Amino acid sequence: MEPEEGPESKQPGLPAGVLDPVAQKKHAAMLDRLANLHQSRLEQSAARSAAAAASPAFESVSAFLDRFAESRRSVEAELQRCRALAADLASAPRLKPELEKVATSIADLDRLVAENSYFLPSYEVRSSLKAISVLKEALETASAELLPRKKFSFRNKTSKKDPGFLVKQIEETSKAATEKPDLPAVRDSPGFRNKEGSVFIKQFTVSEEGEGDFTLSDLNACEIYLKGRLRSLFIHRLTNCKVFAGPVLGSVLIEEVKDCLFVLASHQIRIHHARATDFYLRLRSRPIIEDCNGVRFAPYRLSYEGLEEELRDCGLGEETGNWAHVDDFKWLRAVQSPNWNVIPEEELMDTINASDIKEQIL
Amino acid sequence: MGLLSIIRKIKKKEKEMRILMVGLDNSGKTTIVLKINGEDTSVISPTLGFNIKTIKYQKYSLNIWDVGGQKTIRSYWRNYFEQTDGLVWVVDSSDVRRLDDCRSELENLLKEERLSGASLLVFANKQDIQGALKPAEIVKVLNLDAMDKTRHWQLVGCSAYTGEGLLDGFDWLVQDIASRIYMLD
Repeated sequence: MEPEEGPESKQPGLPAGVLDPVAQKKHAAMLDRLANLHQSRLEQSAARSAAAAASPAFESVSAFLDRFAESRRSVEAELQRCRALAADLASAPRLKPELEKVATSIADLDRLVAENSYFLPSYEVRSSLKAISVLKEALETASAELLPRKKFSFRNKTSKKDPGFLVKQIEETSKAATEKPDLPAVRDSPGFRNKEGSVFIKQFTVSEEGEGDFTLSDLNACEIYLKGRLRSLFIHRLTNCKVFAGPVLGSVLIEEVKDCLFVLASHQIRIHHARATDFYLRLRSRPIIEDCNGVRFAPYRLSYEGLEEELRDCGLGEETGNWAHVDDFKWLRAVQSPNWNVIPEEELMDTINASDIKEQIL
Repeated sequence: MGLLSIIRKIKKKEKEMRILMVGLDNSGKTTIVLKINGEDTSVISPTLGFNIKTIKYQKYSLNIWDVGGQKTIRSYWRNYFEQTDGLVWVVDSSDVRRLDDCRSELENLLKEERLSGASLLVFANKQDIQGALKPAEIVKVLNLDAMDKTRHWQLVGCSAYTGEGLLDGFDWLVQDIASRIYMLD
């Protein structure tokens, strides 16, 4: 062994010592891998040619068309069968997997066309694809009919209303818009307007249609009694008026009043542009004034039969003392605003009893 | 890397949205915020100044700036415009008389350049009140269809009193902002 190894080690490119056993092993392994690779390539090509020999007819258009037509017929038959199944209630649970099977068959058909498209004339490809899409549609309509899904709908803010209502509402608004572009004028809320020297009495009853808002505007020297619950109250341009009202669940908005007296109970009250006016209030929050002067505040002083219960229903059953905590937006300093004050004890009016004041037909 | 992409990255990390609630006084801004946060709405005073609420909504954290709507303090609204992602304009649908005021205030607001990228949600509030204008009517009165086409906007009818419609509105707003800033992650 020794003499043989000698000349070998002197070979150029394979110097002795470098070609240690590890490297030798690696080299052998590499040669092995190369041989394997070659062998497997040979095998693969042999297999390919064998396969080609096994189905020589398939690379022909007519063979493809035959096979396609056959698959298509079977899918159609399956769909028919699904419809028959649906007619029979007992087999209904089996319907879903059946339909899924149809979907798989259609997908197979799709793949068949794709795989063979390389040799098919483009007309055949197109017509096959079209046939597939027809099948897909048929499947969709079938599953929609046979397996109705739970009704899908977007969460809609008007979901409580019936669908006809929405249409009607849109029709109404478009009609209103064409008749009169000035929408606000069309839809005045209920209220007393443009009157002088009258007495108004209004009894609000809790009705099915729910509570509404009410407006008092452009009144001079009037006396107004609003008995019962209200949702909100708008007061605009009153002079020399007296307003006595039951509880307002929401808010009261007062603008431009002068020399008036208000007896109100409400969640919120906002008073703008008021001059020389007294307010007798019960509130769940602090009243605010803006651009006012000479306004005075005192606790609520009204009574009529059933008022206490109405107040309680509106969360106004108890005196909160909020009537005295007035926020003045035109006076954001810590010292008392000069625009308002509390009515002194000796000037307080007596509680108004409105029990005998009944609604009249005016 | 541009400044915009840096800002986007920072926002993405925090998943924060800044929302400005404005509208005329008595429209129900504070009530909406408290209602959506599940708080008592029966003793709310008219807002003197502003309130800030941080609300976890879906996977985002909403910083809601609820600014008072009284005439005297409307001129201070602009102090809150910076970095607003979403603008919520609240309308009292039952206050027919002041709808003109409401429209002109909104128009002024939308001219503001610092708000030009903000999504606009208009709440037609107080739908529970008999005789309140319907959402479709509010769209007309406020002339929203004539708005700049690049503005993302939506009008939702709601009642802060019953809570109806509030989540629909905020869902839209948050989705719209998310798709802009976070590119729908």
